[in-house]
Amino acid sequence: MNTSEPPMNKSRRSFLQLLPFGVLVGVVGSISGAAFRFLRPRLSAASDQWLDVASVSEVTGSQPLAKKVLAEQVSGWAISTEEHNVFVLPAKNQVLSPVCPHEGCEVTWEQSRNRFSCPCHESFFAADGSRLSGPAQRGLDALPTRVQDGKLQVQYRVSDNV
Amino acid sequence: MFSHRSDHIRVWLYTTGGIIAVLLLVQFLTGILLAFYYVPSVDHAHTTVSYIEKVVSSGSWLRALHHYGSQWLAVFAFLHVLQLFWSKAYVDRRIGWIAAVLLLVLVMAAAGTGYSLPWDARAFFSTRVAEGLMGGLPFVGRLARLWLLGGTSISTITLSRFFALHILVTPFLILGVLVWRFSRKVCWSNVSRNAIAGGLVFVALAIWCLKYPAPLGPAVEAVTADYLPRPGAQFLWLYQSLKYIPGGLGSIVGVVFPGLGLGILLALPWLGANIRKQIGALVLAGFALWVVTATIAAHLSDRRDSNTRQQLARQLVQESAWRSEPFAPRSLQTSPPQSQSSSAGGAPVLYMKFCSDCHGAHGEGGQRGTLKFPPLLDVGAKPRRAPEDIVGLLKDPPAYGLQPPMRSFADKLTDEQMREIAAWVVKLKR
Repeated sequence: MNTSEPPMNKSRRSFLQLLPFGVLVGVVGSISGAAFRFLRPRLSAASDQWLDVASVSEVTGSQPLAKKVLAEQVSGWAISTEEHNVFVLPAKNQVLSPVCPHEGCEVTWEQSRNRFSCPCHESFFAADGSRLSGPAQRGLDALPTRVQDGKLQVQYRVSDNV
Repeated sequence: MFSHRSDHIRVWLYTTGGIIAVLLLVQFLTGILLAFYYVPSVDHAHTTVSYIEKVVSSGSWLRALHHYGSQWLAVFAFLHVLQLFWSKAYVDRRIGWIAAVLLLVLVMAAAGTGYSLPWDARAFFSTRVAEGLMGGLPFVGRLARLWLLGGTSISTITLSRFFALHILVTPFLILGVLVWRFSRKVCWSNVSRNAIAGGLVFVALAIWCLKYPAPLGPAVEAVTADYLPRPGAQFLWLYQSLKYIPGGLGSIVGVVFPGLGLGILLALPWLGANIRKQIGALVLAGFALWVVTATIAAHLSDRRDSNTRQQLARQLVQESAWRSEPFAPRSLQTSPPQSQSSSAGGAPVLYMKFCSDCHGAHGEGGQRGTLKFPPLLDVGAKPRRAPEDIVGLLKDPPAYGLQPPMRSFADKLTDEQMREIAAWVVKLKR
């Protein structure tokens, strides 16, 4: 300590004491601001891809038919082809999402009991997708469909409200 | 009066510690953020870094902070050692001295391992050089090379190793050194000036990074034969030195000499009191002179040769053009789902391994940077593209009018494997 230096006044001393914290806050703050934008999830619009489910001639009978659709999915830097299960209701020409509206598990069709059941928390749905019992608060979601060139097509999407 | 003024300057020279603290903080924070998107595999590393550069908000700035911050950190870590040497810390502050030298070693190790991660052409060539340097070490070369690569050749395992060393091993060792250093007696003086210097360096770095994004060369598989790899500023001295050194002696100069120098610096507190100052000065001045001279020589050498100058300028233009192109998402190289595989007659495994990166998993073609890779759909209908032609083309692309980046697979695939790929490719239809 140089004793010949004039004594610092109180406000200057407290300013100097706070300076390292100020620099710390400045560095962390500016990087954190960028980090918020950097990590912000990128929301993609619901897919408007029409995916082939089956030929119209195949869609017959009174029971729900389990089918698979292949959807191209862009996730950030990657494009992947995802396989999704859907259920076709021939009587109503409707396609149901298999995603349980309770917690998002995939339901299965129990032919012997004529109902859909969710393996996770025991929600049950009727053959037309309406809710029967369990913690789910609504029935299975119907997906947008159309018929094109003799094929039943669907737009696959998962409801945000799961 | 003179003494007071020189004291005033000296206290500002003693602020490298504060600058290093700020730069280390920047490296840790930006490194954590980059790890949210980066994937350490040779298939995806370049794509994920491109995604950070082109798509993610503030990604280019944060990556530039990490890239240039590592270079500035190496410089200030060296200046910190110089400053401690000047104040004879090796005599009365041994722990501080050893910690500073270890920090310099670890900062260089972090820079070296991080350099490979983007897996662009420069990263690939630098990994090759690191492989050569390790392989050329006397006695332990073969083992050192195998351990560095994680196998007999550079592969995705090598990149995983560099990633683990970069994000886990070196940061923990750096933290360990800092904890060890600051768990001992620390004299907290000059703190305000350290904070001011650290803050100013951060502002300078932040502005620099807004103006100059971190470089990213072409992906390894898109490299053309005329590409000239040049390392980053912190390794130019090594690159230039290796030009003058024949064969295996490069390992002596690139690894053994720096290792010996750092060993001597670490041992300085225990060397004879009458010689350690001279030895330390010789090592530090010698290293500084070597690095500065070789770095300048590298720049001059590139400028003197007109072909090199023009090619490097072309590479800069290509990188700039690549930056302005929109990002193209990459197809994940997973096996196609069973139902699709059976209906479309799934791609052969070897096509997925060697061809799909460029021509797409379904032969749809692709684009990387300025390079476009043609689709293979309906290729069988084109002249000179019968299955036997495709086998010949895979062996000798120029004979079929194809230029790089299409390369020969004669040393990768057997005739039978080529025929399998050719038979599948000619069936591809739009």
